[in-house]
Amino acid sequence: MSQPIRVLVAKPGLDGHDRGALVIAQGLRDEGMEVIYTGLRQTPIEIVTTALQEDVACIGLSSLSGAHMEMFPAVVQLLRQQQAEDILVIGGGVIPEQDVEALTAAGIAKVFTPGTRIEEVAQFIRDHAHLQELAQENLPPLALGVDHIGIAVTRVDEILPFYTGLLGLSVTHQEVIADQEVKTTFLTVGGMEIELLEPLSTDGPVAKFLFKHGPGIHHMAFAVADVNAALRTAQAAGFRLIDERARPGGRGKEIAFLHPKDTSGVLIELCQRTDTEEDIGGS
Amino acid sequence: MNLRDQQDLWERSCTQFAEKHPERKPTFRTSSDIEVKRLYVPENVLQIEQDYFDKLGFPGEPPYTRGIQPTMYRGKFWTMRQYAGYGSAEQTNERFRYLLKQGQTGLSTAFDLPTQIGYDADHAMAAGEVGRVGVSISSLEDMEILFNQIPLDKVSTSMTINAPATVLLAMYLVVAEKQGVSWDKVAGTIQNDILKEYVARGTYIFPPKPSMRLITDTFAFCAQQVPHWNTISISGYHIREAGSTAVQELAFTLANAIAYVQAALDKGLKIDDFGPRLSFFFNAHNHFFEEISKFRAARRMWSKIMKERFGAINPKSLQLRFHTQTAGSTLTAQQPDNNVVRVTVQALAAVMGGTQSLHTNARDEALALPTEESVRIALRTQQILAYESGIADTVDPMAGSYYVEALTDAVEREAWRYIEYIDSLGGAVEAIEQGYMQQEIHQAAYETQRAIEQRDMVVVGMNQFTVDRESQPDLLRVDPNLGKLQTQRLEKLRSERPFDAWQTALDELKRGAQGQDNLMPLIINAVRTHATVGEICDTLRDVFGEYRPAIF
Repeated sequence: MSQPIRVLVAKPGLDGHDRGALVIAQGLRDEGMEVIYTGLRQTPIEIVTTALQEDVACIGLSSLSGAHMEMFPAVVQLLRQQQAEDILVIGGGVIPEQDVEALTAAGIAKVFTPGTRIEEVAQFIRDHAHLQELAQENLPPLALGVDHIGIAVTRVDEILPFYTGLLGLSVTHQEVIADQEVKTTFLTVGGMEIELLEPLSTDGPVAKFLFKHGPGIHHMAFAVADVNAALRTAQAAGFRLIDERARPGGRGKEIAFLHPKDTSGVLIELCQRTDTEEDIGGS
Repeated sequence: MNLRDQQDLWERSCTQFAEKHPERKPTFRTSSDIEVKRLYVPENVLQIEQDYFDKLGFPGEPPYTRGIQPTMYRGKFWTMRQYAGYGSAEQTNERFRYLLKQGQTGLSTAFDLPTQIGYDADHAMAAGEVGRVGVSISSLEDMEILFNQIPLDKVSTSMTINAPATVLLAMYLVVAEKQGVSWDKVAGTIQNDILKEYVARGTYIFPPKPSMRLITDTFAFCAQQVPHWNTISISGYHIREAGSTAVQELAFTLANAIAYVQAALDKGLKIDDFGPRLSFFFNAHNHFFEEISKFRAARRMWSKIMKERFGAINPKSLQLRFHTQTAGSTLTAQQPDNNVVRVTVQALAAVMGGTQSLHTNARDEALALPTEESVRIALRTQQILAYESGIADTVDPMAGSYYVEALTDAVEREAWRYIEYIDSLGGAVEAIEQGYMQQEIHQAAYETQRAIEQRDMVVVGMNQFTVDRESQPDLLRVDPNLGKLQTQRLEKLRSERPFDAWQTALDELKRGAQGQDNLMPLIINAVRTHATVGEICDTLRDVFGEYRPAIF
């Protein structure tokens, strides 16, 4: 499977016994799942809200206080109201065998009682919580390819011979982008481009980058079909945006940036080539 | 040849023997990862006579390793105190009177979660929880029903109540007053141990600072007014249930105790005024000898802490008195009758360890609340140990066992290391706020789970010696309508009680909480005006705020 299964381990009600919940949470992590633990004293509403926000595939409920007959079905009910019944709900704790049937009827997929091996729980989740992920896998990919890699340099003239001479790339385009206070130089290689960025002043974004990090890779740009649509998708998935909407980049491209805090420190540009740009690029 | 040479020789031949006939495991270790040697000999233990006095002493004398009374159970047995409570005050009162009739010698009250977290039975957060894990007490009326026909000057009562301990103690005192029993005649214990709630049990309300204030307020108030009341029961039990080792249980409990003592001293209380009323609560777990050693080490360490660290002089301040409960987390849902045997072995360790009172778990507690029959068997277990086995006929029968003395030393040594580390973090409150204790416990719990799953640790009837068909025992059911009944009762109370007195009492409590005065008299006053547990706690919540744990 491409992504780890996300699981919410939740303690509904006032019960403070979380040894089992914590052990299961760590055990499922060791089984390769991504586990979020709610902490104590959660109402069913809080649990469902967290599950939706965190986009989990499975909720594991733990109760040792005898309140399971009220709490567990309430969570399933709320999920149905939110049209999120595809989230798998399982339960565990001090739950008498006699209650299991009623809980199953109420929509709890499986009740695990004391003595269950973590492996069994993990296998059950794997077997039953994959539907949503398959659906995600069937979506077309957002990125169509790497459009270019941006490299911040102090002086283009100094490094250009390395690219054109040693590596043998050819310059396809040079442009001054006034509002970014930068001069860009594009070189083409194997269907993608390298963009060399040289600052034109001491306080533009590229100059700031150079002061902070020195010369180096500045950003990576992915080609997308529609920048604005891609921004909305990224935002919905919880990524912070630098640009709320597409803005013009060089050569008639539409571009926008995602915040590097959410992308492992790499500044990501989304870029969309327009027809006019194709014409110029093709000439 | 001296003993060491002789032993070397024996070890050598023994190793050859063991090569031919391998032992069950490469090494044997206790729950706290202390290595258990093949054999213990005198030189592992007491070198000279002076060692006897330094490490053991006589029963009733420092360092109290052998027990806090000179005659121990030859005088009177430990108090048989079964933890009970479920449903309504009427139902629990009935169970209390049943237990007293069966020969139980003290009461121990289990409250439901809403009561323990300071919510009345009609609060939204109480839905589904009323009367589940204990009795539902919202009002003074509930408390009067709970102790109906139980003379509070004759019976001592332990109450498992922490964050709202002041409120339930106030209710108990007002009920005593109504029975015509003066406060210097009532005896009992409130758990009142908030630190382990943050660590392991979860029924906290307020942040640490105001919680510590409520605790030191009870120390000061009871020292003056309720001299036979144990103002705190510093509990390792729940730390152990959460998965700690024996050494962690001991060390974290004593570290918490040090924090309470320090808080009281900082408030200006005198060590020997409140020291004698501090009590402890430990777990009796599976490793028989390590448990006995833990209890003995606990007494020795506490007397040292009180004397050397805090300068206590009164012998009562140096004596670690404790309640014990057998380990609920060791009980299995599979083949539940086997639990009777587990409980027996654990109870035996508690008695060998010199406990002052004991709760033996019922066999069906891994499934639900215990039935009357199961509770009776649990109590009978204690009675058989006391009256038939003869173990109560001499004091500290394990003393001088080469093994137990060496293990007592080892448990103590390891526990000091934890306490020193916690001191270096700035004390128990700091260590808890940083999540240190929680993480240590969780790590131990996870290792236990893995050991069970890999069958390094055998749990009879669960991961070995299983049966294909488990029988379905009868279980106790709590009336799910109790929440509604309690709500109606509260509605009636709120419409009938005199409003002005109630309002004034809560206003005064609020002003008191904003200031520095002892809150106990103000809470007692509020209880007299029929303010409920939830209303009193809400008043304090307004001033103190609520504790929000970090998730580690």
